Amino acid sequence: MKSNKYILFGISAFVIGLTQVAAQTPTDAFMMKQRESCVALIYDMSSFDHYWEGDLLRVNQTIETVTRNTVLPMIAIGLHDKVNLIVATPYVKTKSSEPNGGKFAGAKGFQDIGISLKGELMNKQLGPGKLALLTTVSFSTPMSNYLSDYMPYSLGFGAPEFGARGIVHYQLDKGIYARVTGAHLWRGQTEAERDYYYNNGSYYTALMDVPDAWNYQAVVGSWLWNYTLKVECNYQGLMSTSGDDIRKYNAAQPTNKVEFGQVGLTAQYYPKAAKGLGALVYYSQRVSGKNTAKSNNLGVGLTYQFKI
Amino acid sequence: MNKNITIIFVSICLVLAITSCDDELPTMASFADYTYSSLDQEAGSWTPILQTSADQVAIDAPFDITSDAYIAELTDLKSASANLTDDQRKKVKYWTNNPLIRWNEIALELVAKYNLIPGPNEDDTYTLPNPASPEGPPAFPFAHPPYACRAFAYLSVAQFDGLISAWHYKYMFNRPAPYNVDDAIAPAYEKSSLPSYPSDGAVIAASSREVLSVMFPLEKEYLAAKAEEHLQSLMWAGINVRSDIEAGEFIGQEVAKVALARAAGDGMKKAQAPKAVSDSIKAAAFARFGWQWDNLELPTRPVGLTPLFGKVRMWNVPTVEEVRPIAPPAPGSAEFEENVKELKHYADNMTDEWRAIANFWQDGLGTYTPPGHWNRFAKDFIIKYKQNPIRSARTFAYMNMAIMDAGISCWDTKYYYHYPRPIQTIPGFKTIAGTPNFPSYTSGHSVFSAAGAAVLGYIFPQEAELCNSWAEEAAISRVYGGIHYRFDAVVGTNQGRKVAQYSIERAKNDGAN
Repeated sequence: MKSNKYILFGISAFVIGLTQVAAQTPTDAFMMKQRESCVALIYDMSSFDHYWEGDLLRVNQTIETVTRNTVLPMIAIGLHDKVNLIVATPYVKTKSSEPNGGKFAGAKGFQDIGISLKGELMNKQLGPGKLALLTTVSFSTPMSNYLSDYMPYSLGFGAPEFGARGIVHYQLDKGIYARVTGAHLWRGQTEAERDYYYNNGSYYTALMDVPDAWNYQAVVGSWLWNYTLKVECNYQGLMSTSGDDIRKYNAAQPTNKVEFGQVGLTAQYYPKAAKGLGALVYYSQRVSGKNTAKSNNLGVGLTYQFKI
Repeated sequence: MNKNITIIFVSICLVLAITSCDDELPTMASFADYTYSSLDQEAGSWTPILQTSADQVAIDAPFDITSDAYIAELTDLKSASANLTDDQRKKVKYWTNNPLIRWNEIALELVAKYNLIPGPNEDDTYTLPNPASPEGPPAFPFAHPPYACRAFAYLSVAQFDGLISAWHYKYMFNRPAPYNVDDAIAPAYEKSSLPSYPSDGAVIAASSREVLSVMFPLEKEYLAAKAEEHLQSLMWAGINVRSDIEAGEFIGQEVAKVALARAAGDGMKKAQAPKAVSDSIKAAAFARFGWQWDNLELPTRPVGLTPLFGKVRMWNVPTVEEVRPIAPPAPGSAEFEENVKELKHYADNMTDEWRAIANFWQDGLGTYTPPGHWNRFAKDFIIKYKQNPIRSARTFAYMNMAIMDAGISCWDTKYYYHYPRPIQTIPGFKTIAGTPNFPSYTSGHSVFSAAGAAVLGYIFPQEAELCNSWAEEAAISRVYGGIHYRFDAVVGTNQGRKVAQYSIERAKNDGAN
């Protein structure tokens, strides 16, 4: 009966954009027990000097190498053994390397607050391992008055997003695991500070439709060293369901049809000696894309797990 | 269980809330056909801009409304306007009884589409758009503000001259509108006593198509299809018979020829000077003043944007020198340092309000440019005050002539003084707006906007104060954006007002008041 309820919950399955981060994220299969909590502080360094203008991979000396540094505080709380709440509040800073031809000021500030509820629908022994089904519903919305229409320096796309994700995770008793997740991301409108823009035609409004997107991930990994170290490699893809292309040698805008494929490696270490403390490091690189940066991300973080 | 239902409920509500605000976003002015505030019966006697007289284009007298030929046309009209498809009905609604608005929007959209600066080649050289091979790459034209203001001016002048001719013949021949001949015809638009021969809509369609096809050669087919749709909609709407339309088309084509002949010889072809000429202009400024503007892009653009646009033939100002402002303060002078201090203050303490103003007026690459922004304002006032097509054409024509003259005067000033931009004079300075590829003094936005505001304020005196405040905000927006000194903006605003006065003086004497 209990599982039926969770399947019902899972029909409206869900997610968030913080997809590259590990450790109790809305996209993994990790669950906190009730009254358990985990806080994480992650520093993410992302940069790119190539980007896709439509399908064309190019450089642009106007912006040179753009870096985006994010400080990401996160908290996961076990509301119930089967339901976790995750809240994240990223602070982002962007700028171009020097020298560059554009002399644009970068941007900084709080980006979007992300709130997710992750539910475990099923977790049972199946053959030599355990099969878990989870779902995440997530909501994010801008926390500050940042300007989304200031690409590539804008902090985010500046619109509310509602996500529904399904997660399937299978883990052998030996510690090797595989996971696939898929999500649909509903995105609302962002408001520019100009009331005219071109999106394959004139738009006489400051509102811009941010395209909805599909996001999916495939992960394989393993626990090592007596369940103190977790290493995984992952692939994720994002596909907007609509939108226009970046025009030739022109700035990107939030209406663009963004697509990318990205590969990554993640390691998490939970030393037995340091009670509740964990460390994480990850690296990812976009390998294909459309209307987005060919960026790489390096992240390091600390996690701390405790009872409430 | 309850908790889960709540989650599902909240989830569904959130999805609905996020997606429900994805309403259809406006892609054009929302208005329906309206009763004109006047018919301007005397407009046939107004002084045209380029035509020597209202009857320079000769058309035949229409056949009588009792003739068999007319009755046959009326029968055709009845069948064309009866049983419209949904698509035809939609098009009739789109064009309205002031289709000048739609052609102006088409022009703005093409400017936004082509307002893309050519990027560098692999070897760091730049290729300029070439009208002889418009496909490029890069495609021709690069519809930057000087190009845009000129396209708007020729479009509006051709439309206005064509409509003066149309009004002249309308009241000379006095052929009533089809629905005033035959009660069985129910027009889609407000009925009026405006004579229907020649069709004013057809004059607008043909003159607009011709002028825009030359300004945007890659859009010939698109424009032809738009014009064809517009001409057909005149019959679908039940407001013109075929001979009305044919006569109007002829006038539109003929006035466009005159406008395009002027355009071909106005000096625009030489505006994008070669590097040697550009270098000598820069050297002359340096010799005169001891400063020079340099392009700081990477790779460096060898030539600024249209260094000789200041030599293009003006509409209403006899010589560009008579409206050229005095020299700006020298870099390093006390006044200059005050201005730099102000720029640094904005950059270091940027507020949401300054940022919003800088962005609202930016009208940069990929948009309809500042001249386009003022055309949008003009359009909104035309609708608000229910101007008829010829009044609307006059509004656009005088405003766009003034704006183009303003642009010419501004460019003359820019390359005469060749003044460096803030990013060049202030080490390490960063901006929130893109620094354009031309000298700083005076600010193009300021000059364009002040000229547009002055003409709109003259035509719509109730809106003068508002327009003036917009022009001043547009000017200061460039200072907030970090790409102009305050003196560029203040002097530019005065310059725009002064230039516009020439067009306003001409308007005062054109017989329309």
